[in-house]
Order: sequence, then structure tokens, then C-alpha cells
Amino acid sequence: MMNEQSVRLDRMRFTKNTTSSRLAILAIVFDVLYFVSLYKINVDYYYTLIMGASILYNLVFMLAAFLSSEGVKNYKQGFSYVLCVLGIIQIARIFILPIPAHATTVKVGGAELLAMSDGQFTRVVIYLIASAACLFAAAAVNLVKSRALKAHIASLEGQGA
Amino acid sequence: MAELSLHHIDKIYDNNVQAVYDFNIDIKDGELIVLVGPSGCGKSTTLRMVAGLEDISNGNLLLDGRDITRVPAKDRDMAMVFQNYALYGHMTIYENMAFSLVLRKEDPNVIHKKVLAAAEILGLTSQLNKKPSQLSGGQRQRVAMGRSIVRSPKVFLFDEPLSNLDAKLRGATRREILLLHKRLNATMMYVTHDQTEALTLADRIVCMSMGHVQQIGTPLELYDSPNNTFVAGFIGLPPMNFFDVTFQDGALKGKGFEVQLSDEEKATLADYNRKQITLGVRPEDIAEGGSLTVKVFSNENLGMNTLVHGHMGDNLRVSAKLRGWSNYRAGDTVQLGFKRKHFFDKETTNAIRKGDR
Repeated sequence: MMNEQSVRLDRMRFTKNTTSSRLAILAIVFDVLYFVSLYKINVDYYYTLIMGASILYNLVFMLAAFLSSEGVKNYKQGFSYVLCVLGIIQIARIFILPIPAHATTVKVGGAELLAMSDGQFTRVVIYLIASAACLFAAAAVNLVKSRALKAHIASLEGQGA
Repeated sequence: MAELSLHHIDKIYDNNVQAVYDFNIDIKDGELIVLVGPSGCGKSTTLRMVAGLEDISNGNLLLDGRDITRVPAKDRDMAMVFQNYALYGHMTIYENMAFSLVLRKEDPNVIHKKVLAAAEILGLTSQLNKKPSQLSGGQRQRVAMGRSIVRSPKVFLFDEPLSNLDAKLRGATRREILLLHKRLNATMMYVTHDQTEALTLADRIVCMSMGHVQQIGTPLELYDSPNNTFVAGFIGLPPMNFFDVTFQDGALKGKGFEVQLSDEEKATLADYNRKQITLGVRPEDIAEGGSLTVKVFSNENLGMNTLVHGHMGDNLRVSAKLRGWSNYRAGDTVQLGFKRKHFFDKETTNAIRKGDR
């Protein structure tokens, strides 16, 4: 006779890890909000190589995060590590574009202005941190669940042997 | 506990076409009732009225004494299994079986236990992570049944659930339904046009034609004592042979043949002297070695039996199911005799039984 805890574990054999999967998708949503906010940056600062690389990386990020969301949905442990790496990169991106842009001034109509305003800077940083947090949470939840499921399946196989 | 009563149920569509006439039955708890009849006889319509998928034009539907005639389908506590399975292709078998309970917002752990229990009963435990497209027709039908079982409904309704399966799978799934009924001891209504399903599954059969109930009884009653020529012809495979005969001088005289009757048979037909009646003889009640000469035109070996089709008397067609393996050729003559006879009134088509008049 299974207790409630065992039933909860046993359920995972047939149900998807939707928590991790949805968190990974949410991370993509925050990334979209990030780059939509970022591309409002002052045009003089906009046309740089680093901005081009950022656009390309966004595409790579969305693909990787989406595939990982499908992976963690099926309790694949390896995708937790992929999500962690993506999360670290999201944090690192704060230092690559927003901080330098926030420290740079451009001349608009003779006036010296910040390339990225305080408000815009705060928003993009929040989006990147939120995106990273979702990725870390998705990875952590998946790690815990997949390990528990693995142990449960091993115990079931032990009972059957 | 689920007793279902249908009292004077009619179904009249908006265009004034009447599909079901005065349907009456009291179904006992745990009983398996099979509605059988040809296409368009109103059996599926009756089932859909019970399920709440069709409005009941007249009459009352009672479940455990409670009138549910106007109760919506979702509140009737009945589960229906359809011919086409109606599974969600994008969901796994587990999710399909759990779906109705998820909609009811039941506790996930309770859902899990119910789904596993149903899967165990139906032998689907190893298939739970698969999609319906990965299963065979029989397995899909079992999933459809499992989806009903998890709900623990008061009444199970089956609408020709085996029609999409091949003959072998149909036999196997039929046995599974029978075992399921014994295991759950649930009240079930089952619609089919296949009389083999009806005879093997039913506690009682309701035989329908043109919206009218022709006979309600146990499979043996319908086979052995059909109420009329329709039931006699519908139940039994190959169907019963019918001959127009006249009862005269203690014998039945047909076109070009004569059949002697026993004293008991004569007594049954006492009121029909010199009147025309319909004689019914099942192919399996015909044996070799009688006084009737039959000219064979077809011989079908079925293994244990041989189905012989021929003409007797004044070109009257007759089919006989003879024991063993026979090799008659077209044009051969064979002497046959009728072992058991059924008599029907020529005008009313009703069975003539001793003491009827």
C-alpha cells in the first residue's frame, strides 16, 4: 500500500514536469521583454558589433531554452545543467550591454545624454535577473524531481526483482 | 447500486420523425442489457437519450428511483464508451484516463490511484506513457473503457464499442467486457447490431426494429422462443428459414413439401386448422435423414459444421447447418428433416404458442 508521499512520487512516472518547463518558458518571455526594452536604446549607441551579437545570442538563447524546457518536461537531468549555464549567461549579459550603455553618453541635438536612461537600465536589469532566476529555479526543480523519480523507479525495480 | 428504469420513452425529432416508440424496461442493479437490432432501429437513439445526449420527447427516465429525464448529461453519473474511442491524440493514455477526473478537480493522488487501478484491470499498465496512436484498436477501446471506469459511474453505456475492430480482436475485447462486467458488477447498457455480441454478453436482450421493442428477454428466450418472425430472423446465424405453410390433417403443407407434426405441435396449432401460418426452422435444427428432398446449390465447410444451401419443394430456399464435414456439390440431392419447429401467425407475425388463444 503506497502512502501519499509514494503516490506523489509515483505520479511523476506518468506526468510531465510542467513546473520546470513553464519556468523555462517564462525565462524566454523575460528575455523577450529584455531585448524589446534594450532595442529602444539611443540609435548612436545601437549600431555596434556587440548589439549585433546580442541579437544573434537572443535567437540562440530562445532555441536553447525552449529545447531545455522540453527536456526538463521529461525529467532529463542534463537539461538542468544547460538551464544553469543559460542562467549564468543571462546574469553576465548585465555587464556586457546594459552597464556600459548606462555609463555611456551620446550627443542628441547638442545635448549630452545617457545612452541608456536610468529607467530603461533598471527595467532591462530586472528582466535579465528575472529570466536568470526562472532558469535557475527550473533547473533546481528538475534536478530535485528527476533524482527523486530515479530513486523511485530504482526502488520499484528492486521490488520487482 | 444503480437501477435504471425507462418508462414509455418516445423520441420524436423536430421534423416529426419518430425514432423510438414507447420504450419500457426496468434494468436491475448490475445487469447488462444489450440493445440489438438493424441499423436505424432506434437503439443508439435510446442509449443517447439515457446518456442525456438526446432529449426525451415523452416518458420518464429514472435512476435509482430519481427522475433524471431533464437532468443534463454531465450530472447523470453515467459513462459512455463510443465506437470511435474519442481519445485525445495529444495526450498520453494516463492523461486520457485521468482527464475527466482532472476536470472535476479531484485530488491528483486520488486520480493516480484510480487510473492505476483501472489500468491494472484492463491490462494497460505498461501502456500508460504511450499516445493513443501507438496502440492497437483493441487497446484504444480498452483505454476508452478505462476512462469510464475511473469515474466509477452508476451506469456504463456502450455504443457499438467493437464495431471498429477486426473479428479476432472483437472476440477478445468482447470477453474482456464480459470479465469487466463480472468484476465491476456494474449496471451496463450496450448497443450493438451484432447478435453474437448480444447473445454472449447480455443478461437480457432488447431486440428492436423500426423504433419498436420487439422482445425483451434472456439470450436463450430470444433464441429459443422468439416473439415474432423479426426476432426469429434476427437472432441466430445463419438466420431462421421461413416457409408459408397450411396446417391441415395434422401436417404442414407447403409448396411442394409436407411436414408431419408431433402431437404436441398439433395441439399448439389446434386453432389454426386449414389456416396459413409461417413455419420457422433454424438451420441448426435441420438434420440429415428426413423426408424432405433438398437440391444443393452451395456447400460451406465451417470446420465443425457444414452449411448447406439448397432448394426444396417448389423452389423454396433452405439453409441447413449439418454436423461434421460434408462435401455436397451443386446439383446433389440430400434428404433432410426438421427437428425443431417454430410457428408464427401469418397475419400478425407473432409466435404461436400453446395456450395463446
